[in-house]
Amino acid sequence: MLETCKSLSVGETVPDFELEMFDPVKCDFGSISLKKLKAAKKWTVLFFYPADFTFV
Amino acid sequence: MVTVSRDTKFVHLAWQRDEKALAGVRYPMASDVTGALGRMFGVLDEKTGLTLRGTFVISPDGTLLNSEVNFYNLGRSVEEILRRVSANKLLASKPAEGVPAQWKKAGDLTLKPGPKMVGRVAEAMKGK
Repeated sequence: MLETCKSLSVGETVPDFELEMFDPVKCDFGSISLKKLKAAKKWTVLFFYPADFTFV
Repeated sequence: MVTVSRDTKFVHLAWQRDEKALAGVRYPMASDVTGALGRMFGVLDEKTGLTLRGTFVISPDGTLLNSEVNFYNLGRSVEEILRRVSANKLLASKPAEGVPAQWKKAGDLTLKPGPKMVGRVAEAMKGK
């Protein structure tokens, strides 16, 4: 039914990633990367969902 | 908190502006157009091209500490996600301790596993 790939397991190091984003606070576009989040010593919650205009 | 879907940043803007339930949103809404990040975390459904409802907590040193994936039609408890982040923060400073299921917030009882607790978890949970 579902086809997903072998993925990261808990305890593993997450490889760096960078994505474009919309920042509602500044009402502006920008980018977000794990490198920046780590440099800011932030805890990160990645919250995936199927698509905009669906319930979260 | 960073939300991720395969919509573009332009659609994120339109959705955040139009949907009243998102009026108070303060978190960045990231755009995984290629699906590469979803694939990395195993939440990209190659059949539909959509991402499943996956939640992942990453520590400041880049370690994946929590992983939870729901099917398309089950929403998540934000309270539980915040509990996990708080618990992980606490455990990062006290790695020898354990956070039990009943733990809600900093200050609540944590467990220190050791010989005395073997078979005595019920007593330990009462703080004895």
